[in-house]
Amino acid sequence: MSAVAAAPRYPFARESPFDPPPQFARERARAPLFPVTLWNGARAWVVTRHAEARAILLDDARFSGRMAHPDFPTVTEARVTVDRNERAFVGMDNPEHDRYRRLFTREFSVRRMQALIPGMQALADDLIDDMIAAGPPADLVARLAVRYPSLVMSQLFGSPYEDHTFIIGCAVARHGLTQTPGEAETKARELAAYVRRLIDAKERAPGDDMVSRVIAEHVLTGRLSRDEFAEIGAMILRAGHDTTTNMIGMGALLILRDDALRARLAADPAQIEPAVEEFLRYVSPVQFSPRRVALEDVAIGGVTVKKGEGLFLSLPAANRDPRVFADPDTVDIGRDNSMHMTFGYGIHQCLGQMLARYELQVMFATLLRRLPGLRLAVPLEAIRFKNDMQIYGVHNLPVAW
Amino acid sequence: MRIRIERERCVGAGQCVRVAPAVFDQADDDGLVRLIEAAPQGPEAERARKAAQLCPAQVIHIEDQG
Repeated sequence: MSAVAAAPRYPFARESPFDPPPQFARERARAPLFPVTLWNGARAWVVTRHAEARAILLDDARFSGRMAHPDFPTVTEARVTVDRNERAFVGMDNPEHDRYRRLFTREFSVRRMQALIPGMQALADDLIDDMIAAGPPADLVARLAVRYPSLVMSQLFGSPYEDHTFIIGCAVARHGLTQTPGEAETKARELAAYVRRLIDAKERAPGDDMVSRVIAEHVLTGRLSRDEFAEIGAMILRAGHDTTTNMIGMGALLILRDDALRARLAADPAQIEPAVEEFLRYVSPVQFSPRRVALEDVAIGGVTVKKGEGLFLSLPAANRDPRVFADPDTVDIGRDNSMHMTFGYGIHQCLGQMLARYELQVMFATLLRRLPGLRLAVPLEAIRFKNDMQIYGVHNLPVAW
Repeated sequence: MRIRIERERCVGAGQCVRVAPAVFDQADDDGLVRLIEAAPQGPEAERARKAAQLCPAQVIHIEDQG
């Protein structure tokens, strides 16, 4: 009884900008999961070990990912209404999930994403040309980390680039930790309404983009309604604009704080791909997803998760599990990090993961080639880390060259 | 080694194509897994094993013979 009452309030604060909250390592040494208390007093579990997180994400029979479930756990009050109204497949269980996701899998196939690399390269070069022309110092976040994924998504999806500030505002309203419920829900509706208007526009004047292709293949054939597509499109835009931005900022910081790593990557571009995988593991930008709710009492690691209790499968914790990654708090681009869970696991694993990988590989390779003298323009203490967001990263990264 | 896939449960994450492109592909029409080589050997067999381990829906099954 006292153990339940003592379940600490979640989420926790970080002590180091590069490491998850220290509670994860302490609790992980004792058990695969531990109880926490949420903002509304609800009891939930944080799963910190890799093997158990993976097993739970595969166990769709006993753990639901349906965001509209009345017991679905959240880290903020603002997220409750947003989750209840989630209509994209990210918030569905099977069989509904697979039916909708499969209408979009070919759009994100490995070969299709590979075909985008030359376009990504041209965008990265253009943005770095602009940054060089404006001269140092520059904020790498504003100059590159925000604009580059926005431009890639604009070309791929078909949303006009000038709308990216609006789209990012909608993503931030959902991914923040400080928004009011009204703000978060209003922005969620605004983004879906925006995509709905874009669908109408592309139906009248199709282009070479995802919205036009999905209209032709799935909307006009009756497999997908325009409103359903609007909700899924909003999810794709949010994911495509926010997560990669944060990985670019954090990845650039990891390179710039470590001269040996920077020299190694500059000398051997073949190391960029393993370095990106290690950055993904080490940074784990998504802090509070995936989540599940237990559909029945389940015994795990000496405790019982009761029916109706929520679970946070902590990716930052799983990615630092020493059972899988030796010396997990060190950036080591030579390690086998293939088991990292940064894109999640199970049926909801990130659909855009190959897009993200190629975007990151192209950007870091181009930065190192074009700006060999790139350096931080401020001490680490002047960098503002996103402790106010559910997706971690840096708000700013002042650089010079 | 013999590979069996449960295509009806595939979620098209592309991990198999990423790590073992000589063994797995994604179909043009739906982006779901397509088996190119059901009995890979040597390094390709090892890559197929890694793909089976990483598959987020666990739809790749490896049956070792003998």
